[in-house]
Amino acid sequence: MVTVPRTTRRRLSLAMLITIAVFSVFIVRLVDIQIVRADELNASSLDQRAISDTTYAARGDIVDSSGDVLAGSVIRYDITTSPRIVPSSFERGDGDDAVEVTLAEASAEVAEITGQTQADVLRSFTANPESDFEYVVQKVTTEQMRAVTALEIPGVYPVERPARIYPDGSVAGNLIGFVGTEGPQNGLEFTEDSCLASTNGSSTYERGADGIRLPGSTVTTQPAIEGGTVTTTIDADLQWSVQQMIAEQAVAIGAESATASVTEVKTGKVLALADYPSVDPNNVDGTPATNLGSLAFSTPYEPGSTFKPMTAAMLLDSGVSSPASRVTVPYRWTSPEGSTVRDAVGHDELRLTLAGVIQESSNVGISQLAVGLSNQARYDYMRAFGVGSRTEVDFQGESAGLLAETWDDQQKYDVSYGQGVAVTAAQMASIYQTLGNGGERLPLTLVTGCTLPDGTVVDAAPTGGTQVVSEAAADGVVEMMEGVVTGGDLAADLAIPGYRVAAKSGTAEIAENGRYTSERIVSIAGLAPAEDPQYAVVVTFTKPSTIKTSAAAAPTFNKIMTQVLKTYRVTPSPTPSPKLPTTW
Amino acid sequence: MSALPARHPAAPTFLGRPSRPEPVVEVTPTRAQRSARPRLLAAIGSVVGLFGILAAQLLLTIATSEGAYEISALQAQQSELGRDQQVLVEQLQVLDAPQHLAAEAQALGMVAGSSAAYLRLSDGVVLGTPTAASESSALVTAPDGSPLIPNSLLANVPSAAGAAAGAGAAAGAGVEAPADATSPIPVTGTDAPAAGTVDGQDTGPVAPVDGTGTGAPTADGAVGSVASSSPTGIPTPKTH
Repeated sequence: MVTVPRTTRRRLSLAMLITIAVFSVFIVRLVDIQIVRADELNASSLDQRAISDTTYAARGDIVDSSGDVLAGSVIRYDITTSPRIVPSSFERGDGDDAVEVTLAEASAEVAEITGQTQADVLRSFTANPESDFEYVVQKVTTEQMRAVTALEIPGVYPVERPARIYPDGSVAGNLIGFVGTEGPQNGLEFTEDSCLASTNGSSTYERGADGIRLPGSTVTTQPAIEGGTVTTTIDADLQWSVQQMIAEQAVAIGAESATASVTEVKTGKVLALADYPSVDPNNVDGTPATNLGSLAFSTPYEPGSTFKPMTAAMLLDSGVSSPASRVTVPYRWTSPEGSTVRDAVGHDELRLTLAGVIQESSNVGISQLAVGLSNQARYDYMRAFGVGSRTEVDFQGESAGLLAETWDDQQKYDVSYGQGVAVTAAQMASIYQTLGNGGERLPLTLVTGCTLPDGTVVDAAPTGGTQVVSEAAADGVVEMMEGVVTGGDLAADLAIPGYRVAAKSGTAEIAENGRYTSERIVSIAGLAPAEDPQYAVVVTFTKPSTIKTSAAAAPTFNKIMTQVLKTYRVTPSPTPSPKLPTTW
Repeated sequence: MSALPARHPAAPTFLGRPSRPEPVVEVTPTRAQRSARPRLLAAIGSVVGLFGILAAQLLLTIATSEGAYEISALQAQQSELGRDQQVLVEQLQVLDAPQHLAAEAQALGMVAGSSAAYLRLSDGVVLGTPTAASESSALVTAPDGSPLIPNSLLANVPSAAGAAAGAGAAAGAGVEAPADATSPIPVTGTDAPAAGTVDGQDTGPVAPVDGTGTGAPTADGAVGSVASSSPTGIPTPKTH
């Protein structure tokens, strides 16, 4: 053992202590920086070097049945400026070619591109000279953005801004809806938002002094998630044809509004559902607020005589009547309870079969036959046909219509011919789909599903049907409706040469303030080809001013049905319509 | 090595030198350890290797940053091409709108057929009852002349058919203009002079088929098949 002098040991201990103290301070500081304040410091250091980057994920498309885009996403640009660094004049071009451009001149050039006035543009540069951010113009197209960028004005930057376009304009605008500044506001854009919505991605990267991204520095904080695609059952071309046809006729007869639907009988798919007037989603401000949605879903109406085939179907199904059932029909009839039913036009006493009642559209005839079934049974049948409940489409603002659970002595007759009960045009389409499909009601379908970006389909539409009336009853009704086209008052307007068509007219009175007025809703609903119905068409005009009967709707029904038969290449019927006895 | 621990290499030495104080434990290198002495060559090799690695690392870094410039340039190019694609897709979608197609077809002198009839190719049988289309099935516009089914995106789209139909009508001798000024058929684009429409394509947002391209022959065929009479109001074609 070596003995160390005391003083040396003391000095050594002191040195050790100091060393330990200094290291302790270092350790405390290290822990503080590396652990306690690590996140905060990292963040602030990254702020100095890192550039954050937003990757816009497109909102999903809404497409028609063949994939044509009805609503799509595009990038528009906001032209922004930092007035603080915008010079009063600048040089454009390089070297000898450079020209001096004043801010006023540049403003005029921008105005020419964006369609503003030169003063407006100049004001955005000069109004707040110390500002770092002002809009020159918002939502310009890529061409405009490129043209503005080419002007080389210092301190002017384009900023991406996702926007929505509707390439087909008001074709299906009533169904598609639109996206406002506050997000989706109407139609499928609103109800299918959970499918369509996208999540913008964000990432940060670091860049060097020359502005080039440093390799490997990209950190994705949120991956971009594109929206899904909503596939509708609509055929955009047919939809346009139908919209054009009802619009032409609505203008011609001075109708306040009109709707038309084309439904595929075997699937329940809505191939076209037109409203007049309807919104151009590209120009929402150009349409009155009352026309922004779909009247076919939102507005129930008393359908009138187009209800009679449904009443006939329940009578046939329950065995109460047959197409040959006989009834004596005066023009005006007083029921055993004392209520009165009248036909639309005066006539001598007629002896009609049920087929004749449908062909002549006799309110008196159908009323007498309908009460062969109890009110409850008829109510249950109507509910099974979908009256009084929203369709499976569940459209935004859809109405369930009006169907009272108990009927008084007048109403029990009135509902048999479509007064005292209100349905939407969509419910009417479903009733005729049921009649055409051998009595099996299928869920009315407007959207077949949501296709996610990875190709999986979710939210597929329901397909299970319910048998409302027997096939024999439904087919019997279709045969009786053929009588309307072969022998009724509107036969000339309704017949389509070469095809068997089944149809029923309706001229319903509009009740206002508890009284029926002189205003009418005129409609035609029908099926073709009648030997094996494929398509149901329902056309409705509200408050026509020149022709106030269903004669106003018949030519349009004919045009739409002809277009449908052409569009889907339906071959003409091999045999003519049967002639059922209508009188006895 | 560890398989041969029993041999005691110090034993002969011990026997030959008894005077030397005997260590309790002596650590002796194995033969392999003795032969594994550092050599100059190995040292040089290591250093060269090290520098080699450093140089490779440096070159790799340089290559990566060269790549960064390339990536940056390509990304800029991709973004521009993406914009081009979006612009073109958008144009296509708008031109594809049913209103536009119908108006263009009408400008070429077509009207919608009003009857459903088919010719069966196998035996030449006509199915259905064909009737000739007439002007009465032409598109109707609103009283103020605007389309009944509006699409504000079409407001700035010039009519390709308007110009092309003009070219076709003038070229086909004695062929009637499907769209004279008094005709009930509204023809989009005929008000604008054909030259203006064609010239406008250079700067316009849409570049439709021009009169010199595929548009003219198509127009020829279409217009030629329609019986007609007065070419008033038809713009003079710039080219054929």
